[in-house]
Amino acid sequence: MANEVVRLDKVRRDYLVGDQVTTALDGVDLVIERGEFVAIVGPSGSGKSTMMNLIGCLDRPSAGTVLISGDPTNELSDNELTSLRSKAIGFVFQQFQLLPNTTAIENVMAPLLYQGISSKQAKKSASQMLTKLGLGDRLNFDRNRLSGGQQQRVAIARALVTSPDIVLADEPTGALDSKTGAAVIDLLKDLHREGRTIVLITHDLEIAASAPRRVFLRDGQIERDERGIR
Amino acid sequence: MRFLGTAALALNRIWATKVRSMLTMLGVVIGVAAIVALTSIVDGASQGINKSLATLGTNQLNITAMDPDALTELDANALAELENVSVMFVQSQNEGTIATGDTRVNARLVGVSSKYFQAVKPEIALGSYLSSSSFAQTAKDVVFGADAANDVGLTADMLGETVKLNGQDFRLVGVLDDQAGFGTSGRVYVTLDSARKLFSQYPYVSSIVIQANTPEQVDALQLTADSLLRERYGLGADTDARYTITNQASLIAAVSSITDTLGLLLTGIAAISLIVGGIGIMNIMLVSVRERTREIGVRRAIGAKQSNILTQFLIEAIVLSLAGGVIGLILGEIAAFFLAILGDWVFAIKLDTVVLALGFSLLVGVVFGVWPARTAAKLEPIDALRFE
Repeated sequence: MANEVVRLDKVRRDYLVGDQVTTALDGVDLVIERGEFVAIVGPSGSGKSTMMNLIGCLDRPSAGTVLISGDPTNELSDNELTSLRSKAIGFVFQQFQLLPNTTAIENVMAPLLYQGISSKQAKKSASQMLTKLGLGDRLNFDRNRLSGGQQQRVAIARALVTSPDIVLADEPTGALDSKTGAAVIDLLKDLHREGRTIVLITHDLEIAASAPRRVFLRDGQIERDERGIR
Repeated sequence: MRFLGTAALALNRIWATKVRSMLTMLGVVIGVAAIVALTSIVDGASQGINKSLATLGTNQLNITAMDPDALTELDANALAELENVSVMFVQSQNEGTIATGDTRVNARLVGVSSKYFQAVKPEIALGSYLSSSSFAQTAKDVVFGADAANDVGLTADMLGETVKLNGQDFRLVGVLDDQAGFGTSGRVYVTLDSARKLFSQYPYVSSIVIQANTPEQVDALQLTADSLLRERYGLGADTDARYTITNQASLIAAVSSITDTLGLLLTGIAAISLIVGGIGIMNIMLVSVRERTREIGVRRAIGAKQSNILTQFLIEAIVLSLAGGVIGLILGEIAAFFLAILGDWVFAIKLDTVVLALGFSLLVGVVFGVWPARTAAKLEPIDALRFE
């Protein structure tokens, strides 16, 4: 139990589109343990974005239970959900989503500052994390002066700097050429080897194959849950 | 995130979009500058009016004839008999002509009693007031007001020369510098005796100015003087008199109430432009929230609370408005400085103007910033992240 970082129990998520109810996830059960590297795979409309939102504490289920690091998200207020997200989740987005008009180090400092950590301490941690990811000489570059791969590494540093329970990567290679994309996947593998929990959301089977566990979604349900390197 | 960090984010954003920020501020800049400059004009005008009224003293009463034969010198003598009073001066005036050489213009010829110049103390530009020797029976001296002097083209070398009033010879002894004054322009001053010879109005006078010994006695004196004059002319208490008695203090009060109203009116108009400026800020902030929806989503995802987003946008609006206020204040004070030079009044930066200008712009920032900031804070993170 203590090793479960994600538990979904009979989770259902309905959306109201116009006056029609669409069910994006329909009775999904899923457990992810600390230190796992899981790919959530499926075509668009399969419910993988909804699952990312639920695991990422950006959304709450319509029915069923979502436990993140042991905390049920159903009844949390917006503020409590934000606190849980800030503590438990590190996001890596497809389009990097670096903050505008900010430097690499300011991006990585931001999650720490939102946690109320002092600017001095945040700067120190951010600088260490960027240096670890090979961007020690790019700390004060703004995003226009960074390549796509460098931007994604800044985004990964931003996701890691709070030491979250889960690194949630949404199509992290989607905006990169295949060589740079492969380097990012290698970086995620390294992080997994260090003991981090990685959840990778992708539609790309080849990318998914780099994860030791693959959960296939179709039409809001889990179609297959594979383990083992292929 | 601590407040300072959020404030730094807001400033960073404003700096990153300098041109847009400047244009957004413009409405507030113009509004505040207008308020500051207009307030200073009203202040300056009332300063000038009060100054010329105050030279006459607040314990004085002006008794003015409404018909040419309504008051006489004998009335002045009777008023002098009242208690706690002194008669300051008597004036008698009529339209006439003044001429030097070939120039001949119309002017108001004013006959004054001997204490007039000591009582009114008008500024002198050339020569002197009518002196005690001028008031000797035979002398025919004249002092010109500034406008009358301009009308006939008087020059400094004409002091002591002869000018003609209604065709009679007078000796020019002085020219007043009364341009900034109140009601003395276009006039020439002679003694009462001379006036009698110019226009045969004896014993009628156009006004009598009396003075109570203390300002507190003025209101009582006004009633006593009125009843004395009514008695002399056999008027009942309800009959309309052919003279009016004006109290300087109430005149000053009336003038300042007019300038206060004028000030309020002008400030009101300027305040409208400030509100328009505020709407401009709100408009741009709403556009900015929409443009930055993704950024808001990312910030929420990496741990920003609703309150962090609210504060960030609200501070942005307040900084825009307050910076506009500061720039407007500076421009307004510069305008007020030059207006003061033009209008010849005293320039002063008044604390209440500064507080008012900055207070209003702060208020505008808060009022018009809250809605966009709340809109930003209320965005759902997943919607914001998905926003294209």
